[in-house]
Amino acid sequence: MTGSPPVLSVDGLTKRYPGVTALDGMSFEVRAHEVVGLIGENGAGKSTLLKSLVGLVTPDAGTIRVRGEAVRLRGVAHAGSVGIGMVFQEQSLVPNLTVAENILLGAERSAVRGGVYRWRTMTALAQEQLDKIGSTIDPRARTDTLTFAQRQMVEVAKVLTIEERIASEPVVLLDEPTSVLERDEIATLFAQIERLRKRASVVFVSHRLDEVLEVSDRVYVLRNGRVVAEVDPATVDATDLHHLLIGRESGGSHYHDEAQHDCDGAPVRLRVEKLSTGGCRDVSFDIRAGEVLGVAGVQGSGREDVCRALFGAIRASGGRVTLDDRPFRLGSPRAAVRSGVGYVPSERRTDGIVPPMSVAENLSMAHVGEVCAGPVLQARRERGLVEQWVRRLGIKTPSPQTPIGTLSGGNQQKVVLARWMIDDDLRLLILDHPTRGLDVGAKSDVYALIRDLAAAGCAVLLLSDTLEETIALSHRVVVMKDGEVVTTVETPKGAKPDPVVILEEMV
Amino acid sequence: MSTDTAPEVQPAASSPVDGPSRVRRELVRFMPLLILGVLLVLLSLRNPDLLTQRSLLTMADSAAPLMVLAVGITVVILCGGIDLSIGALASFASVLTALWVPTMSSAVVVPVVLVCALAGVVQGWIHIAARVPSFIVTLGGMSLWTGLALAFSGASTIAVTDLGALRWAFTRVGGWPSAILVALGLVAVLGAVLRFTPFGRWVSSIGHAEPAARLAGLPVSGVKIAAFGISGACAGLAGVLLVARTFSGAPTLGDSLLLPAVAAVIVGGTAITGGHGGLFRTVVGALIVVLLRVGLSLIGVDAGFEPIFYGLLIIIAVTVTIDRSKVAVLK
Repeated sequence: MTGSPPVLSVDGLTKRYPGVTALDGMSFEVRAHEVVGLIGENGAGKSTLLKSLVGLVTPDAGTIRVRGEAVRLRGVAHAGSVGIGMVFQEQSLVPNLTVAENILLGAERSAVRGGVYRWRTMTALAQEQLDKIGSTIDPRARTDTLTFAQRQMVEVAKVLTIEERIASEPVVLLDEPTSVLERDEIATLFAQIERLRKRASVVFVSHRLDEVLEVSDRVYVLRNGRVVAEVDPATVDATDLHHLLIGRESGGSHYHDEAQHDCDGAPVRLRVEKLSTGGCRDVSFDIRAGEVLGVAGVQGSGREDVCRALFGAIRASGGRVTLDDRPFRLGSPRAAVRSGVGYVPSERRTDGIVPPMSVAENLSMAHVGEVCAGPVLQARRERGLVEQWVRRLGIKTPSPQTPIGTLSGGNQQKVVLARWMIDDDLRLLILDHPTRGLDVGAKSDVYALIRDLAAAGCAVLLLSDTLEETIALSHRVVVMKDGEVVTTVETPKGAKPDPVVILEEMV
Repeated sequence: MSTDTAPEVQPAASSPVDGPSRVRRELVRFMPLLILGVLLVLLSLRNPDLLTQRSLLTMADSAAPLMVLAVGITVVILCGGIDLSIGALASFASVLTALWVPTMSSAVVVPVVLVCALAGVVQGWIHIAARVPSFIVTLGGMSLWTGLALAFSGASTIAVTDLGALRWAFTRVGGWPSAILVALGLVAVLGAVLRFTPFGRWVSSIGHAEPAARLAGLPVSGVKIAAFGISGACAGLAGVLLVARTFSGAPTLGDSLLLPAVAAVIVGGTAITGGHGGLFRTVVGALIVVLLRVGLSLIGVDAGFEPIFYGLLIIIAVTVTIDRSKVAVLK
């Protein structure tokens, strides 16, 4: 494939957020009539990459070239005008409009004359787009009467309106298109992708390995914001791909393996029986005092629902939970905190910290009673407590009065952990992706803190972005798939299983 | 995740800390005091008598009901909400005061403030329990309290003849008008509660980052309902002060104070989006609003044009103080 330049090429794309590097010199290319697969774990940079390609994120460095010409994309409409269209994972159709209106939204052309819709023209134009993908959906139907899979087809048809605006063939980005589809719908989608490649190039993003291998001509493996491998689906071995996906940390000391505390014989701290929410069904497990229990699963496995429901952040529709053999009512976060449960949220900047407020205020937030005499705050006692924890956890901050939003991600996260650790009676700590967006050194510090907490007898429920981290830190790992527990794997010190064993249960 | 060590990303000094830039924040903090100073100088150049102690105190006295209202709504705005009912509630309070003075004499302030606090709590509770924006609940409340005030008063002004009952609110203590002392006392008490108890932190945590506050186990609903209760109580007290100034209660007496009160909060530098701000800023804001009003009459602008100027003032001040990082979609 030499000669004409690739349809789309990305070179050294970089995007940094405070405390996080989302894209770190990402490079790849898409050639004409090709289906390119992108795979990577959560946080590998897939979504930031796609947003950059449709102009929703402005990269800090690097270039995007379309047919050899560098472009600076200013938004979805602009991306469309150079030939890049995206089918969004969270669908972007307006539910109370007809299919035809949605397909032509923003590109009405002759369907509007003098500012007034001409319905017959509009239906005809929309039908043209639907014909391109061989769809039988009625363009006059209201969009909210369609199934998810049908709406997805409408989005594909809508993206193809780009063809009328440019002289050449478009690039269609499909963001996790199969995540909520049934098996036969996925087959239809794949047939559609085969059809699509005759008139366009396709970028297929998914975390389901088998699907990516099935439809793609070439697959890029992403990790930590860069491409770590380019593989040929015809020759690649699934196990190799798993290893590429997971990556390898630099040696065992990173996780402080030697500090994993033995908790055999410790009493059961938390017992969960048949917990159900919108996203999980009949989940049962228990955690002993001093045990770290990991929960593994891909997106949509329902593991986030489990931990958020236990903390009362989302509603549970059923289930029995006991904490230290006493019934534990799932209600509000406040009730959970009062029972000695702590929670470190995955979205640190919006859910974890109050950015403009001080390190001290953020640290004493959940257990402010510790620094009060009656209803009155004791400034001196608070300063003492905060300075003690800042020292103990090695939090790098100019002063306890510094707004927490100005610290690096790792130091912010240590403050959030300290918020729960100041409670002597902390019985269960739920960690929802505690190392998301942290650099290697800060991750290692957080691992050490988790080890300390467990050694002190606190039960820990851990959800993590990477399998390797989950296995390294946990005593046992519960594997979830499609909202249910599929198996539990023992991961004791010195006998950690190969991540691939668990990955095969997850997907 | 090989051995590549991602560099620790320290945000540069100029990077935004979730909100207005540093320069803007400093500007917002000191601008109101600066404006207050400039206004005083300009007005006294125009009319040298203005800077006499006597005229300053008279002006402050007239500012008392406005200040009390503005202080109450500040707590709600710090939480990220809004209370549009305070003007109507103050009117309702004035009617209740005028009706109840004959039977209760000086003690009338207690039941009036309690009734209005309860009215605020009910609005806050509906806002939380029914998950309706506070803007809508209090917009409905505004009409509701006006209606009740009209019904209770028979749609007319009720004169208060027992002047002694409210003398505490229009006398002088050590040369100071007592109304302004009441207002400053309120600022001191409420300021102390916000500063020295966890309540103040809870209010600003909720205003800055409600999800984070909720997930840290803070009593989010309770704090918000309490904020509306405080706002209601302050409206009640403002209503009593209004009766003491006019010796009558009337069903629309406090209505025109809503806009100046909101203007005072925002001009003082409290962000309408919640979190940033405080009571002291509102005191400065209220003084600015009063000085501007005096200034307008000094240069011969008819009082009937005041609403124009409050409207412009609010729009301009919000433009400067709003925290746009929190407004994903402008509605």
